[in-house]
Amino acid sequence: MKRFGGRLLAVAWVLAPFAAFAHHSAIRFDLTIRDNMVTGIVKQFEAANPHTKIVLEVTDAKGTRDIEYEGHSRNNYYRAGWREGMVKVGDKITLIAAPTRDGSDGGYALGVIAADGTKF
Amino acid sequence: MIETWGLARVGAVVFGLSIAGAAAAAPDFTGVWGNYRAPGSAAPQRGAPQAPLPLRPDAKAKVDAYHALVDPIGDSPGGHCLGTGMPGSMLGSGGYPMEIVQHDNVILVVFEAHAEIRRIYLGERAKAEDLFPDRNGYSFGRWEGDKLIVETTHLKEAVDQARYPHSENAKIVEEYSLVANDDGTKVLTSKMTMTDPEFYTQPITAEKKWQLQPGVRLLPYECNEPAWEEHLERLRQAQNDG
Repeated sequence: MKRFGGRLLAVAWVLAPFAAFAHHSAIRFDLTIRDNMVTGIVKQFEAANPHTKIVLEVTDAKGTRDIEYEGHSRNNYYRAGWREGMVKVGDKITLIAAPTRDGSDGGYALGVIAADGTKF
Repeated sequence: MIETWGLARVGAVVFGLSIAGAAAAAPDFTGVWGNYRAPGSAAPQRGAPQAPLPLRPDAKAKVDAYHALVDPIGDSPGGHCLGTGMPGSMLGSGGYPMEIVQHDNVILVVFEAHAEIRRIYLGERAKAEDLFPDRNGYSFGRWEGDKLIVETTHLKEAVDQARYPHSENAKIVEEYSLVANDDGTKVLTSKMTMTDPEFYTQPITAEKKWQLQPGVRLLPYECNEPAWEEHLERLRQAQNDG
């Protein structure tokens, strides 16, 4: 995992769905960190309400393992540009993921960069 | 001359009544609505400090106990596909849009989030013995000129409201009005007063604005599908194991 230092992809893109999911508590995640990038191989991508489930095979200093991430709702991803079939098992994708507060594996996917470069 | 003046007065009165009558016509709230943001204004900040609520000690103890239970794991009704209920269903809507369908005898408010529906009945009020407590309660409305006044009772006690927890005896009165901005944007405003002497030392007031979102459609919000699939999988496992 690495921190992405630049102003990063349109900030609005990352922030846009905020209002819609605000009523779901995301207390496990540090949502103030909005530039944490994680790249991995998709093992599962289940776009659902109220939250999407994403499992990535990630390789970093701790080794290679499957990590589960929570994401915005299917409806919010849809409005941000996601469409059915855009993320498939085996794809290499990048998440902008707010990390867990306790530093354990996982995070909250504020945004996704699909294998073809589509951002949502 | 006097008669002419008199007719003119009568005419003016009739004209005035006509205008008053037109002004009193119920506006149509039908459409899809999202959070209102004034032109040029910044996006709302998450986690902005909220003023403490004037909760009575017993009520505060209940609310604190609830938060001590769920906050460490980030649980919430919405996380379990449960609708928010009043007043949060209205005050919190807009990130996910809400659709209003207005009929003469009932106004349907369909919230995309959790596919929650609120009904505001007009005309004949239901008998008290036919009602039972519900997260959105029983809402009865009446038109006062171009304003819709809605009274909501028969709520369940809800310590899990994100902002305004309440007892089952809470009463919510909302005043809805519709205006068009200079740029043509239609803005719906709700001024809410919640009276709940069991929970609060004084009435709670809040205001919420939405803007019409032409071309936006509500999306389906199936939420229990994964839980149902997991249940089916457990049944299959049990069947195979048996």
